[in-house]
Amino acid sequence: MTRRETPSIVEQEAEILAHEAHPGEQYVLRLRAPDVASQARPGQFVHLRCGPCLPLRRPLSIQRTDPREGWIELLYKRVGAGTAALAEQPVGGRLPLLGPIGVPFRPDPRRPRVLLLGGGVGIPPMIFAAQWLRGRTPWKPLALLGSEVPFPFTPRPSRSSVSGLDGTRAAMPLLEDWGIPSRLASRAGLPGCHAGYVTELAERWIAARGHAEDTQILACGPHAMLKAVAALACRHGLPCQVSLEEFMACAVGGCAGCVVRVETPLGPAMQRVCVDGPVFDARAVFGPCA
Amino acid sequence: MLLSGCVGFGREYTRVKGFSHAEVGAVCLKGTTLEPRLGNAPHRLCETPSGLLNAIGLQNPGVDRVVEEILPGLDPEEVHWIANVSGSTLEEYEAVTRRFDDTPVAAIEINISCPNVKEGGVAFGNDPDMSARVVEVCRRATNKPLITKLSPNQTDIAGNARRCIEAGTDALAVINTLMGMSVDLRTRTPVLGNDQGGLSGPAIKPVALLKVHQVHQVAGPLGIPIIGQGGIASARDALEFIVAGASAVGVGTALFYDPLICPKINRGILDYLEEQGIASVEALRGTLRTHAVQRCACG
Ligand SMILES: Cc1cc2nc3c(=O)[nH]c(=O)nc-3n(C[C@H](O)[C@H](O)[C@H](O)COP(=O)(O)OP(=O)(O)OC[C@H]3O[C@@H](n4cnc5c(N)ncnc54)[C@H](O)[C@@H]3O)c2cc1C
Ligand SMILES: Cc1cc2nc3c(=O)[nH]c(=O)nc-3n(C[C@H](O)[C@H](O)[C@H](O)COP(=O)(O)O)c2cc1C
Ligand code: FES
Repeated sequence: MTRRETPSIVEQEAEILAHEAHPGEQYVLRLRAPDVASQARPGQFVHLRCGPCLPLRRPLSIQRTDPREGWIELLYKRVGAGTAALAEQPVGGRLPLLGPIGVPFRPDPRRPRVLLLGGGVGIPPMIFAAQWLRGRTPWKPLALLGSEVPFPFTPRPSRSSVSGLDGTRAAMPLLEDWGIPSRLASRAGLPGCHAGYVTELAERWIAARGHAEDTQILACGPHAMLKAVAALACRHGLPCQVSLEEFMACAVGGCAGCVVRVETPLGPAMQRVCVDGPVFDARAVFGPCA
Repeated sequence: MLLSGCVGFGREYTRVKGFSHAEVGAVCLKGTTLEPRLGNAPHRLCETPSGLLNAIGLQNPGVDRVVEEILPGLDPEEVHWIANVSGSTLEEYEAVTRRFDDTPVAAIEINISCPNVKEGGVAFGNDPDMSARVVEVCRRATNKPLITKLSPNQTDIAGNARRCIEAGTDALAVINTLMGMSVDLRTRTPVLGNDQGGLSGPAIKPVALLKVHQVHQVAGPLGIPIIGQGGIASARDALEFIVAGASAVGVGTALFYDPLICPKINRGILDYLEEQGIASVEALRGTLRTHAVQRCACG
């Protein structure tokens, strides 16, 4: 018999259960997809048909799942034809969906302090990571989220104290409800938020604690942010996993269209974001620490 | 048939629940060269109206690794695996073909129509003399069935097909992608890292159908089968290619739209044959009845 991969990706028509518009052309989409909800791990994504006129699907990260009720939630920003078509889809409609896809985050249990750094539409996998780490030993996550447009939720002053970060109070309500500390950053002058980058919040937190050998980073966001995160990880000797994006066609590894250049022990390689990623070791992507 | 470059080296789609090679007659592996190739810089893909532009740049691990590490994992009983050969020189085409000769692949497809590499590929495919020479050297290098994949980016595809048949090809694949470009208006740069790429998908179907029809005029009487391809995304599309002269059809881009499309296409073909009271696909092949008119395609 031909050597096979594990048949882990499901193709299904997913019913739209809820579809909310938020400022900054952001949308939260909830879909009925029981198989994906029960199988997905943080960092994985779905490949979604956005409408009948655009046959090629678009990859979107999973932000939350409810395996009991059988739904998944996505957060996307309208940037082009695909996401514009998606924004038009009404509740009750159905969209062909493939998922869950990709290599998830694999946090190292020897480092229970997990810094979840999310920027813009890189926030969803961080929420999912928080959901997954929540209540599991040994994890103690801290989410630091940044956005240049208003967040797709109403920030709430945090009830919990976080080393070095008590000058910034704005937090994400869902994470607060889950008992996971968070802080928000934005250069768009959003009230209560740190007026700068998430990496600055992370630096302050590390400096205030005075040690970081129990800490690791999971990150997703724009390329420039991930580069800054990788540099931060190097400065403090922290393991760091980043989730990357590239245009996709098949999303199952067949077309080699979604590659990024990475360093491997055997030299440079072009690896597929869809099945070799989207989560990569930061050093493979941004080079070894100087 | 599942088309080269769309299904990696045969295992990738087994990740999808319900996907089965039993739905197809053959699977064509990714274009393979003598040495490993990293391929082109990103972006490699761009969706266009009813189509897809790609510039992968023949990323592959080189023929030695394909033969030694990948082929042993493919069961020849499961489906016909077809190797797809590319090169920058005649010698490279010959060497890669020879390397595949002593392997379990069912056939070897020569890609003289890849638009995404600087040398070889479509530069050979658009020159009938060079096309014939590539086929000749590959013919000498193997006794396996040889399929020559023709480019639509040439003026006289039927003439080129004739030359390839004379040079010893057993079958023809019609068509490979059309060359194209997309522009990013914000940056005023081409979207693709390679600037230009190959257009596939429903957008190229009318072009592909005409080319199949033209090649069939030459290949049909000589008994050379055509594998029709280019934008097939439904049973209707597949049937149109068969009527135009294809003995088999291939699906590439449409798999990206729906990885489970093949059983749907197969069912639709069977339903049509039953409805029309046609005994088999062979009975339908090449049954196009053209109009007796003076042709002018100038609108
Ligand atoms: C694994 C993965 C997870 C993702 N998760 C999310 C998410 O949770 N939320 C979200 O809003 N977006 C996410 N994206 C990005 C999203 O896929 C793109 O924004 C979307 O495909 C754009 O499609 P479009 O047709 O609207 O835009 P297009 O018209 O195709 O492009 C508009 C702009 O978006 C950029 N773009 C297009 N496709 C991609 C892509 N696949 N990746 C990165 N940039 C792209 C192009 O540079 C272009 O300038 C993710 C991408 C990947 C690969
Ligand atoms: C992403 C991609 C990669 C391809 N790579 C190859 C290749 O390596 N060798 C080849 O002969 N054709 C290659 N092709 C061409 C296809 O095999 C096929 O001939 C073409 O896409 C037309 O069919 P379609 O419209 O059904 O995709 C590639 C096409 C795509 C979309
Ligand atoms: S999108 Fe086809 S290999 Fe990743």
